[in-house]
Amino acid sequence: MASARPVLRPAPAPAEQPAPVHLSAEGVAVDFDLGGRTQRVLTDIHLKIGKGQLVALVGPSGCGKSTLLRLFAGLMKPSAGKIEVAGMSPVEAARQKRIGVAFQDATLLPWKTALDNAAFLLETADPSLSRAEVRARAETNLHLVGLAGAEGKRPSQLSGGMRQRVAIARALTLDPEVLLLDEPFGALDAITREEMGTLLLDIWQRTQKTVLLVTHAFDEAVFLASDIHVMGTGPARIIETIASDLPYPRDAQTYRDPRFAALEARLRELLVKSHKGAT
Amino acid sequence: MITQALPTPRISRALIDITPAILLGLVCLVLWEAAIWLFKVEPYVLPAPSAIALVMIEQFPVLAVAALVTAEEILIGFILSAVTGIAVAVIIARFETFGRALYPLIVLFQNVPKVALAPIFILWFGYDLAPKVLLIVVIAFFPVAIGMLSGLQSVDPSLVSLMRSVGAGPGTILKRVRLPHALPQLMAGLKVAVTLSVIGALVGEFAGASAGLGYLIQFASTQLETALVFAAILFVSVLGLVFYYVVEMAEQYLIPWAPKFADANNR
Ligand SMILES: Nc1ncnc2c1ncn2[C@@H]1O[C@H](COP(=O)(O)OP(=O)(O)OP(=O)(O)O)[C@@H](O)[C@H]1O
Ligand SMILES: [Mg+2]
Repeated sequence: MASARPVLRPAPAPAEQPAPVHLSAEGVAVDFDLGGRTQRVLTDIHLKIGKGQLVALVGPSGCGKSTLLRLFAGLMKPSAGKIEVAGMSPVEAARQKRIGVAFQDATLLPWKTALDNAAFLLETADPSLSRAEVRARAETNLHLVGLAGAEGKRPSQLSGGMRQRVAIARALTLDPEVLLLDEPFGALDAITREEMGTLLLDIWQRTQKTVLLVTHAFDEAVFLASDIHVMGTGPARIIETIASDLPYPRDAQTYRDPRFAALEARLRELLVKSHKGAT
Repeated sequence: MITQALPTPRISRALIDITPAILLGLVCLVLWEAAIWLFKVEPYVLPAPSAIALVMIEQFPVLAVAALVTAEEILIGFILSAVTGIAVAVIIARFETFGRALYPLIVLFQNVPKVALAPIFILWFGYDLAPKVLLIVVIAFFPVAIGMLSGLQSVDPSLVSLMRSVGAGPGTILKRVRLPHALPQLMAGLKVAVTLSVIGALVGEFAGASAGLGYLIQFASTQLETALVFAAILFVSVLGLVFYYVVEMAEQYLIPWAPKFADANNR
């Protein structure tokens, strides 16, 4: 993993230099049809994420984070409101390979090897690329997420955390402008999780991708994100956005920064509040 | 770990596995033989195993020719059932509206007692291969279609929408995701179908034939040659077993990634 370490450039401080909006949700609502009865899952969601930002989305389980992510990925349509990615509809953006998604459960193809799993989406998206090139890109990204040596293994032969990392590699292989990651490190041990977090920072600072990261871990959200959107339930809306004052680049020192502890405490407080609202 | 600790090669392990079954089978045969002697059962009611073995040797050419005829019916019938079943499933899955029309009709048809169609097929197509093959297809395509269809439709919807989101059409998704995903359930359906194919061939021959093991069974029983009937039944059973085994080998070859083989892969 260390071999791929790039020269770190500080990312533009989001507060001073408002980046053009890359992901936007305006008055978005989602209703699910539960056999005749409709359940409102998301209501009145307003969200603007600047180009090149790394943003975290936190909230109680079942509040609708994955649903919001699927909206941005163009995998479903909102019942009301408008979603835009790079100034176009998410469906169009996805078709242009601008969006890479890693789901909460890895959703790999069980008959393909890790390498082929990382490759097949790009293969499908861009038939003009040669097979060799697609595989080379997939291999690079598999190595990047620490899976060198596991290329030939099938999903049933990988651990849960390894499968998640194959899914991340699959998203990265598309080389999208937008990365939508749904609890990508949920099944990892603490050390690997930190390594993957650092890796994500590296990739983000090197490529200036816009990243939307759903996570349940406070420390992960605070360590990685420039903005943290906190969702509440019943039905879910964004109850608060915390703008981080932690500078980039961030490293092991960041954890010892007093601002880190303050942000984490603030986040905890908000989530406790939103949990109370849920019950 | 455990498999590594056992150096026994696969084949001899398989032999150890089936040894008790063979022993029990032999014991049953001996008891059968003894009972026939003891109670002086008439051979046309129930022949002794030794009598059946004798007939098998004496009548081997007759049995072999009959087995070839039946094997041909089973093979062609089974292949056509597989093709029909797969085609029906793919059509239902691929063309939704048409599928919604077709599916209930197929389920309805499944509830017709197909065996009762045999005389009609004989009436239409005579005493040769065609009516038997048709009967087999009619009996055996259903499990293939149902297995294949549920395989095609049980793909993770997230994966399908992900494929669709990068511009894959229904045809591409079918080829690259749904079809391979359906293979394990297709193989399960094929195993049911191969067993049904044997039954279909026999019933077809019962209804009207001039050759084959089913014909032989019927003919021999009218002549009270019960030992020959048993010999023919044994031949049919072996035939069925061979076909089943071939399908199982195909399964291991086609879907080594299936969950049921996972342990073998992790050796
Ligand atoms: N396809 C669906 N049909 C009906 N209800 C759904 C569907 N998908 C999600 N829901 C409901 O929407 C709500 C939000 O689900 P979602 O998966 O977005 O939650 P989440 O915030 O990602 O939760 P978690 O943190 O546990 O992953 C839940 O109450 C869930 O029951
Ligand atoms: Mg979720």
